Amino acid sequence: MGTPLLERFVGEARDLLQAAASALLVLEKQATDEAAINDVFRSVHTLKGSVGLFDFPAFTKLVHAGEDVLSAVRDGKLGLTSDLVDVLLDVLDQVGAWVDDIDGTGALAQGADGISKEMTARLRTALPADYGAAQASPVAAHAGDLTRVDWLGAIPEAERLSAFRAAMIGADLQAIEYVPLDDCFFSGEDPFILFRQLADLHSLVVEPTEPWPSMEALDPYRCVLRFRALAAAPPVEIETLFRYVVEQMRIAPISPHALVSVTGGASGSPVYGDFVDQARPLVLAGDWSALKRAVGALLQLTAPALLSASALRWLEAVLTAPAPDKGWVNALIDCIAEGEEDLHPLEPRTPPSADIPNLAAPIPTALGGLSPTAARILQSQRTILGLSLPAAGLASRLDSVARTVENFLASEGLGAAESTAWSAAVDAAMVEGDCAPAIDLLDQWLLVGGDSTEAVIAAVMMAGGDLPRSRPEAGEHLGHEIKQASRILKVDQAKVDALMNLIGELVVSKNSLPFLAKRADEVHGSREMSREIKELHAVIDRLAQEMQSAIMAVRMLPVSEVFDRFPRLVRDVARKLDKHIDLVIEGGDTAADKNIIESLGDPLLHIVRNAIDHGIETAAEREAVSKPTQATVWLRAFQESDQVVIEVVDDGRGIDPEKIKASALAKGVIDEDRAARLSDQEAVNLVLIPGFSTAAKVSDLSGRGVGMDVVVTGVEKAGGSVTVTSKTGEGTTVRLSLPLSMAVTRVMVVEAGGGMLFGIPMDHIVETVRVHRDNVRRFKQAEAFVLRDAVVPLIRLDHLLGEQSQVWFGDGSEEDAVLVVRVGGNMVGLMVDNFREGMDIILKPFDGILSCIQGYSGSALLGDGRVLLVLNLKELL
Amino acid sequence: MPFTFAKSTATADESCTVEDALSLLEFLLANPGAKVDLGPCATLHTAVLQVLLAVKPKIIALPREAFLRRWLSPALAPPVKRGSK
Repeated sequence: MGTPLLERFVGEARDLLQAAASALLVLEKQATDEAAINDVFRSVHTLKGSVGLFDFPAFTKLVHAGEDVLSAVRDGKLGLTSDLVDVLLDVLDQVGAWVDDIDGTGALAQGADGISKEMTARLRTALPADYGAAQASPVAAHAGDLTRVDWLGAIPEAERLSAFRAAMIGADLQAIEYVPLDDCFFSGEDPFILFRQLADLHSLVVEPTEPWPSMEALDPYRCVLRFRALAAAPPVEIETLFRYVVEQMRIAPISPHALVSVTGGASGSPVYGDFVDQARPLVLAGDWSALKRAVGALLQLTAPALLSASALRWLEAVLTAPAPDKGWVNALIDCIAEGEEDLHPLEPRTPPSADIPNLAAPIPTALGGLSPTAARILQSQRTILGLSLPAAGLASRLDSVARTVENFLASEGLGAAESTAWSAAVDAAMVEGDCAPAIDLLDQWLLVGGDSTEAVIAAVMMAGGDLPRSRPEAGEHLGHEIKQASRILKVDQAKVDALMNLIGELVVSKNSLPFLAKRADEVHGSREMSREIKELHAVIDRLAQEMQSAIMAVRMLPVSEVFDRFPRLVRDVARKLDKHIDLVIEGGDTAADKNIIESLGDPLLHIVRNAIDHGIETAAEREAVSKPTQATVWLRAFQESDQVVIEVVDDGRGIDPEKIKASALAKGVIDEDRAARLSDQEAVNLVLIPGFSTAAKVSDLSGRGVGMDVVVTGVEKAGGSVTVTSKTGEGTTVRLSLPLSMAVTRVMVVEAGGGMLFGIPMDHIVETVRVHRDNVRRFKQAEAFVLRDAVVPLIRLDHLLGEQSQVWFGDGSEEDAVLVVRVGGNMVGLMVDNFREGMDIILKPFDGILSCIQGYSGSALLGDGRVLLVLNLKELL
Repeated sequence: MPFTFAKSTATADESCTVEDALSLLEFLLANPGAKVDLGPCATLHTAVLQVLLAVKPKIIALPREAFLRRWLSPALAPPVKRGSK
């Protein structure tokens, strides 16, 4: 086993796998359960994230493929069929096996790569064909994060220019909006410092999210700031930097064209007309360096506040690109030629993310703006074409418009048909020397375009609606995890056990105080001292008890720990046997001691398997007796005084007492005489007797020759009991009842055998009575007495233990101390010499050569150093 | 005490931490019209920045440190805004 990190991973991975599997089963039943979809996706997603820390490529790949499938399911692109659930469960099983390998050897088993490849392929085939493509671009996945970037226009031009230049030489521009939490200062955050660590910050605007209060009302430690930044850094880097505040920040990729706006005062100088005339041929010829020089020269002559200066600055920036975009250059030259402010002069060069809204007019939703924008672009191109102009300018204008429209078509993702039609129209226009064909086509689009743009919007809405959802969730998850981390402590069980042992010792030492008090009184003759010690004992006793219950609570686990594996089991077994079974789990949060819970696992497994295999009929059989074809198995847990009760109830065929009797006879478990006398309930109880198994044939599932007696042994070992009740044709109930905790046993101490002390477990004791000697009736050897109209057999503990106590130690009032106990459903009176106090003890079972001694369940140390033997009445009586 | 409070001027020290936000605010409240000298400041906690942004005292000197100077200058001495919002 490797590093602590790896150890934690193993624990976490197991939890995640369990969570994923149970959520999957919920999903299979109800495919639309969003919470379950998110649960399973989240678990697998987290698992993928954590395994990424280690070098298990096969593991990572498989989990990743699983995540893709789940993500498709979540997006509604893939239906969750039972077969798909099977595949996914197989994947989880495989991953679970690997986790075990990692736990054991620190590495994956041999051949993991092959398995991973094969399973990954199986998963991938389930994916819709185009799904991988949609996921391929990471940008697309993040595009929805910041849905409104309408503040770009407010950024000073100089900053936008510098960002734009960076983008021109290949940088990846991101808009970041970070609104820290109100109380972020209290958690030690310093939002501003984060931006200092951003590699290439081009703009940073710090604003209040609400109007500033008056100076007096200002709370300096309530953060009301909002940070908006423009950075040229890969999104991954930004996300890493903001990983702790990921819920409060949004990022969005910015396409450079969105930064461009041409504003400023108009100037009527003819210089610009000359420049435009000079520039156009340069653009056509692609002579960028000459154009750059011209731009530089003109910029020197232009007052910075003028509109043309702004356009020139942008033009210069566009020209810094190794291969400037002709459409952009033309558009900016157009701006200079027209001399009008244009807040959105450039068309996107690359397919833009749909959420970059029109810079000029922030529209209510980014998505809604697409239609007018699209129409506006086409309309403006159509207008340009419609302008009359000298024949010489036609070619360049047509070229520029053609390019713009092509880009537009590409960016809107319209089909190849449109773009072919468009180039045909442009070619025709070129040949004819007339724009008419191109104008016609544009008109046609503008008229009928409604449908197709609507389709585009719908598509974008879909994407935009689905994608952003992933972020808040991821954030939510993180927050959730942090919250959990602070509340839940994962502690090694050994530490809790050590505490448990210590408290046990404390209880024992505490028990010695009464002896001390007695000594103080009797030996040293100080009654006062004795009283004080007793008072102290009362306090310590209370504290120790509270402490004990607190530690017990730490060890308490909900029974859902065991129950959780059953939905999967029932599903698999039911599918294998082709039975329709609904498993209903109730009271999963009932808590009991960890050891008890753990000891429950195997017996329950056995009982549930039995119920499904033998109890539940096939659908056809059920139909024949007019029962619903869907059988139900209930798994119930509840607390009953200091016992936790688990019931497994099925509505199957029940246990047939006659069959049991016959079987028991055949196996020689009982003889005919006894069989005839057995009541139905007693017959049913026969299944609990060792060596009894009714299974007609040995199946894969149960009936391997070990019957319910295994369950009984297991449960009794944990200090519990098993009862079976059944009604033929209606179903069977198996009831396990177990102590809540077995760490501390409460016993009653009695004197027997001439002053020897014995402990008797309190749960056996019904009451203590003193029986007048005259009331003891003798039937031959046996003695009995009447307790409230019931005859109770009387047994002398001395005899039972083989002590010959002739001397009578009674208290002289001609009465005997009798402890009425219940053993296996029967009341028995145990005659003892004397009752002593009740006591909490830590029961230590005998080990070594003592372990074969019958009749005792163990020993405990008393406060005065004596050893108390605790009787096992079941064995004794 | 990272801020040195004189009669009507608060001079920042090299590092202004989150605790200084309150003392700065109290000073500015007690001395309306007081000025702030950020010259020596090299690290400025967001909380202090927020006080400065909210109260808008006259800033005598911006931090000499490049990053702060670059990004605080528009915020603390806002230039005429260009472009439309």
